[in-house]
Amino acid sequence: MQDIAGVLVNSVISAALYATMAYGLAVIYGVMRIINLAHAGLMMLGAYATLTLFTRFSLDPFLSLFVVGPLFFLIGVVLYHLVVSRLPRSGATPSMESLLLLFGVWLVLQNLAYVIWTGDTQSILTGYTMKSVAVFGVRVGVPSFFVFAGSVLSLVFLNVVLKATYLGKAIRAVTQNRDAALLAGVDADRISAVAFGLGTAFAGVAGGMLSTLYAFTPDFGRSFLLKAFCIIVLGGMESVTGVAAGALVLALLENGLAVWTTIPTSFQDAVSFALLFVALVAFPRGLPGLFARFARSRTIR
Amino acid sequence: MKAFPWASGAALGVLALAAPLMLERGTLNDVWSLAFAVVLASAWNLLGGFAGQVSLGYSAFLGIGAYATVLLSLRGMNPFLTLPLGAALAAAFSVLVGLPAFRLRGPYFTIATIGVGEVVRVCASSVSFTGGSSGLRMPPGSFDFTLNYLSMATLAIAVVALAAFVKRSAFGQALAAIRQDIDAAEALGIDSTRFKLAAHALSAALVAVAGGLYAINFQYIAPGSVFDFRLSLSIVLMPIVGGVGTIAGPVLGALVFSTLQVKLLSIPALRDSYLFLYGTLLIVVMLFEPKGILGLLRRFFDRRLRRFYADA
Amino acid sequence: MPMPEPILSVRALKKRFGGLLALSDVTFSVTEGEIYGVIGPNGAGKTTLFSCLVGSLPPTSGSIRFQGREIAGLPNYAVVARGLVRTHQIPRPFREMTVEANVSIGAHFGAGQRRGADARRRVAEILERTGLGARTGSLAMALPIGDLKRLEIARALATEPAVLCLDEVMGGLNPSEIVAAMSLVRAIRDSGLTVLMIEHHVHAVAGVTDRILVLNFGEMIAEGVPREVLRNPEVVAAYLGDDAGAA
Repeated sequence: MQDIAGVLVNSVISAALYATMAYGLAVIYGVMRIINLAHAGLMMLGAYATLTLFTRFSLDPFLSLFVVGPLFFLIGVVLYHLVVSRLPRSGATPSMESLLLLFGVWLVLQNLAYVIWTGDTQSILTGYTMKSVAVFGVRVGVPSFFVFAGSVLSLVFLNVVLKATYLGKAIRAVTQNRDAALLAGVDADRISAVAFGLGTAFAGVAGGMLSTLYAFTPDFGRSFLLKAFCIIVLGGMESVTGVAAGALVLALLENGLAVWTTIPTSFQDAVSFALLFVALVAFPRGLPGLFARFARSRTIR
Repeated sequence: MKAFPWASGAALGVLALAAPLMLERGTLNDVWSLAFAVVLASAWNLLGGFAGQVSLGYSAFLGIGAYATVLLSLRGMNPFLTLPLGAALAAAFSVLVGLPAFRLRGPYFTIATIGVGEVVRVCASSVSFTGGSSGLRMPPGSFDFTLNYLSMATLAIAVVALAAFVKRSAFGQALAAIRQDIDAAEALGIDSTRFKLAAHALSAALVAVAGGLYAINFQYIAPGSVFDFRLSLSIVLMPIVGGVGTIAGPVLGALVFSTLQVKLLSIPALRDSYLFLYGTLLIVVMLFEPKGILGLLRRFFDRRLRRFYADA
Repeated sequence: MPMPEPILSVRALKKRFGGLLALSDVTFSVTEGEIYGVIGPNGAGKTTLFSCLVGSLPPTSGSIRFQGREIAGLPNYAVVARGLVRTHQIPRPFREMTVEANVSIGAHFGAGQRRGADARRRVAEILERTGLGARTGSLAMALPIGDLKRLEIARALATEPAVLCLDEVMGGLNPSEIVAAMSLVRAIRDSGLTVLMIEHHVHAVAGVTDRILVLNFGEMIAEGVPREVLRNPEVVAAYLGDDAGAA
């Protein structure tokens, strides 16, 4: 029983973080139909930015999220105007050019990190890194706890932005039906810039939080990127709840396997990737698509 | 004038084979690396360029070929005889991966291949019979660099010739149709999955042979070197930068990359900048000339070059 | 004298997209050598019907018998291999290939499976018949819409079908082009094929077809010879809405 509680608690905590990580990808895809491979590099930069704020200014990594978020939003907007907006837009379908272009950006970011911070493994050690608390009888590390809080906060903030602001509503509109939104007067360029900024901000914040849990190098981010893809494919790219559901499924699988099987942790990544593969092939429209097929809608033409 | 590409290709081929008589060991090493790059780039191009299915997981096939050669050689087989077996193994694996993966389109297929590549790398590092993460060494035996060089050069010539042959064949036409409009292709009788699987298997086999030759030449392999994601990346970048979907493009791309590699290694300050270079190249190519260097050249010389390099 | 089995026989065909029933209980048969029209207002399900026939969409239920064998649910390329092919309403040429290369795809991979010089000869023949002889070496991306439509037809013909399904070949054509298209369709039938055609140009289609099927909201509302079908008040209402008054 202790095991089950442990798996559940740890899964929920991981899921929140994964959802934050995945949403950064989802919003960019939803608005621009672009698959942002640079997301991994941006998460990595988020980790390094948090590290720098911590070592230079002794700023607690969780407090620095309030700096990293807006900073990365700006970085995202700049990146959009500098590079992404110059792509010939094919519109409805995701293009290989954008995929490879952002891949190139990722490589450049990696090299930037190597130059500035060297390839040495880094980690953030605060006074509370080694401490833990009991949650429902399960020992949870203090950083994990704060990560959970930070993730929930980000997702709540996101929800508010999406529901209550004009830009948020415009983003939802374009995600659901691009043509209709454009016809209704949405400025595609401005919304795309905002979406890219938002996605980058989430990448930075996720990276910052990851830096409190894991050691990292400039190569950091690839396995998380693949997890994020897995989540988006499972959860569908169009809704926050979908992403949260996908994140939970992945987290449960990972934690379950760690506790109840003897599969070594080095294989855990392989499991996520295998799940990604299966998810892409078996559920092309994600779990929501699966549910839609079973539900019977009452509207006949 | 249409004979020009064939004539120049043949001339280069002859030069490559005669090189051991003219060049010294150090330079021959570089030419070996160039030939290696040409094989990888041209083989990838069969699926990625001709059929338009971009896979970022090709290091898996290189690794399969390398490990097959080493493991079988350690059991007493003649290293060169292991090559067809490694090729068959890689081809079989490519079909296994392809059957589910080819149900995906465009970027989704690409993402799936990233996943596959990573799974293979993790497995290879963790399983004991592959020597784990510390790698494996070829059995001590007759190491003959001239033979190694000639094998790789011959393979490179063969792959480029094969690519040219495929491009003009009905098979190549089907791949081109699949790339341009897969649904229209199916509407005319093309079983796109079968063709994609065939192109995938062919290119996987060729890459595996190159992997085997790599093992024979370097005598030592480790998961970190042959299953590396950065290798998958280079394999994709070469044809894209050179001119994806053409015959000369992958060769040009391989030339650029090999030269860059050599130059970079000799300037200590730039040694770690290859990521930056690859990344910037990718960005520049995607933004300004998706058809790569060859596309640039064609635009520049317009009509004259079009007659020279008239691809069917 | 017993009736020959129809070359194409559709029974109770149904196609559902989530909550939307695009085709419901469609049943009809086409005799060999007929020119069979399919008409109906926008959104009636005509193109969906063709998609189900050739296998680019799997039907939800129902039966499609072609040359005596059940083909419902087969993939597109398999149906083409048996001799049933369609053109697209909006032409989908292989833009980077020449006209000749485009048509060769049909010749190589369709039911005919031609190769080499034999294929080249057939392609040249078809290009002449469809009026594209002068455009053989042009890149598809350079063609005007009229030629693109011819290319669609030429490619489909190159697969050597027994039944050709034309999806709105006359859309966007001027009157003289329509006349030319009609005679091309007759010539295709006269060369031994059976033709199904979706058309919006009701009167054009009346002039060339032997029988017409009328769809509305996915259901059949009439079938028969053109003269009677077009006088059917339900058909008129479907096209013009409820405020009566024949056109």
